[in-house]
Amino acid sequence: MSVYMKTALASAVALTSSFVVFADPLPPDVTYRPLPTLPFSRVKAADEAQKAAVMQRQSALLNARYDLSNTAVPGVMMSGGRKAVQQGVRVKLPAGTSWEALAAMSPDEVRQKGLLPAGFLPLPHVKHATGGQVFPDRQIDEIRRQEGRDLRRFDVNFDLPDHVTAEFPPPIFLTTRPELGDVSRGQLLTIKNYYEVMNGIVTPVQMEGLRLLLTPFPQEEFNQTEDRKVAEQSTGVTCLDCHANFHTNAAFHLTPDVRPQAARFRLDSVSLRGLFNQQIHGSKRSLRSVEDFTEFEQRTAYFNGDHVSATRKGAHLPDRTNQVAMMAQMQNIIDFPPAPKLDSQGKLDPSKATRQELAGEEIFLGKGRCAGCHTPQLSFMDNMMHDLKLERFYQIGNTFNDLVALPDGPIKTFTLRGIKDSPPYMHDGRLLTLADTVEFFNLVLGVKLNQQEKDALIAYLLTL
Amino acid sequence: MRLRLSAVILAAVLGIGPAAAQFGNPGGADPATVERAPGIPAPSQTNVQDRLFASLAAQGGTAEVELARLATQKSRNEAVTAFASQMIEDHGKSNGRLMQLAKQMGVPLPSDPAADQKALQQELSALDQGRFETAYMRAQIVDHQKTVQLLLWVIASGESADMQRFATETLPTVLHHLQLAQNLVQQLTGAVAP
Repeated sequence: MSVYMKTALASAVALTSSFVVFADPLPPDVTYRPLPTLPFSRVKAADEAQKAAVMQRQSALLNARYDLSNTAVPGVMMSGGRKAVQQGVRVKLPAGTSWEALAAMSPDEVRQKGLLPAGFLPLPHVKHATGGQVFPDRQIDEIRRQEGRDLRRFDVNFDLPDHVTAEFPPPIFLTTRPELGDVSRGQLLTIKNYYEVMNGIVTPVQMEGLRLLLTPFPQEEFNQTEDRKVAEQSTGVTCLDCHANFHTNAAFHLTPDVRPQAARFRLDSVSLRGLFNQQIHGSKRSLRSVEDFTEFEQRTAYFNGDHVSATRKGAHLPDRTNQVAMMAQMQNIIDFPPAPKLDSQGKLDPSKATRQELAGEEIFLGKGRCAGCHTPQLSFMDNMMHDLKLERFYQIGNTFNDLVALPDGPIKTFTLRGIKDSPPYMHDGRLLTLADTVEFFNLVLGVKLNQQEKDALIAYLLTL
Repeated sequence: MRLRLSAVILAAVLGIGPAAAQFGNPGGADPATVERAPGIPAPSQTNVQDRLFASLAAQGGTAEVELARLATQKSRNEAVTAFASQMIEDHGKSNGRLMQLAKQMGVPLPSDPAADQKALQQELSALDQGRFETAYMRAQIVDHQKTVQLLLWVIASGESADMQRFATETLPTVLHHLQLAQNLVQQLTGAVAP
């Protein structure tokens, strides 16, 4: 028996031999949501009083980390033609350094000197101690107009400027009717208009799935109890309140998969386009089918992974055989936007692509190492989770607006198809433009691209 | 030492500290809270989470120092005794700060370690040197994991800005201790450290 084994056995024996004294578990509300201690009216008054300072604090953080100006790529629009794509690196560099200098340093050196740009660090929620779903203004306004339902929180507003988010309302492309193109008619789908817009195009099971995806159900901040952040008792939120028109409107919340609160990272809403090719769902949870995800989101995104709080406020438990299946049927027919320059295997057609775009593809497949996870033949995903280990570059444990920067751990690879349509980027939206993501991965993967290569890569990404 | 210094520099550069305000969920505020301004608690207002944290951290800190003293006596491994000396120094300092804070807030602190901490002290003191070193270091990993969790908890759940400041300033050090402990256990047993 080795020395290690003997020591281990001896320790185990020694520690369990005599009487057993149980240690207290950590306090229950490290994991479980506590009940409010104050009446609703007082909480609301305090939240409203704090709101301006809360928004100011977040605004100060965003401005310190990013260049938030509205600077569009000339001649490049998102797929619906309603919004321009933003250009340029927005993450601010620490004083006295450059991207080339950073790329030349080892991760240890970057970490020890504290030189990782703050915009690459995890991005806090606007009010991290509370968390919960936050909707952008355009979504709030349109839902109020069509349904009379209030999505405005009295404690926080959305924080990112409109020009670094997706176009609104996003176009909808169906795998079942590609020749129709965008079937949204320029409208945000809601419970009020979905039938008129979709009847004739979708099947009965898809229609029922769509209805359920547009039906409000109670959620942690939007419900009928005193523990809510909306002025009046609310019927709740719908799936498509964040996944507007099966895309994203950049609404965010906190990951349901982590505790305690200060360790939970922010989560940007993903696009549901191309779900049909995705084999794992959720940034951390690796759910194996969209049915699983649809069924369980009522406890996770809606209620922070706390089924106890969900039960109190009224979680919707959709019937797996009928309701969930139909919701999945509808989600699985949402196509990526057309990418005319790509062939059926996700490669650029040389007769259609520019020289720069082809050069970008070569880097994507080679020196850049992008295709190692974003495989063209697999819709630019690999159905895997990967740990980028960004914590090599920053000291963990520092607090920013009540979020503690810890390692993110393995996270699901996201698709790059249609990527120009869905800023901001990364699971928490910390990267505002494609140029930012190129700098980020250049550092993380250590591939040392030059400026020409970075520009070519961006040109290529715009074709996907 | 260098790591701690860079943490301080980083903190200053990124504006953590007195300049950055805390905004807790008012739903968790103490009903007896006196407000400095609408929605903003006056200094030294605490809620249950602040007070429980202070109590648990004080007990943990005292136990930590006592156990570390035992380690400096029993261990012949230089790395382990160096670790233990650092625990005495770091936890001695943070215990002092915590006691000051608690006094300002009128929070009474327990003077004794918890029953399980006393039991651990007894069990470890009965071990011979070689087994003690491994058992002590393994226990230190668990202890620091728990402390990290408590610090994270009070950062988001507490009401007192001073308590949050204490926690945000202490957390990087505790994470560093955890790392040291994991590395030491790796040296002693072959277990892999993150």
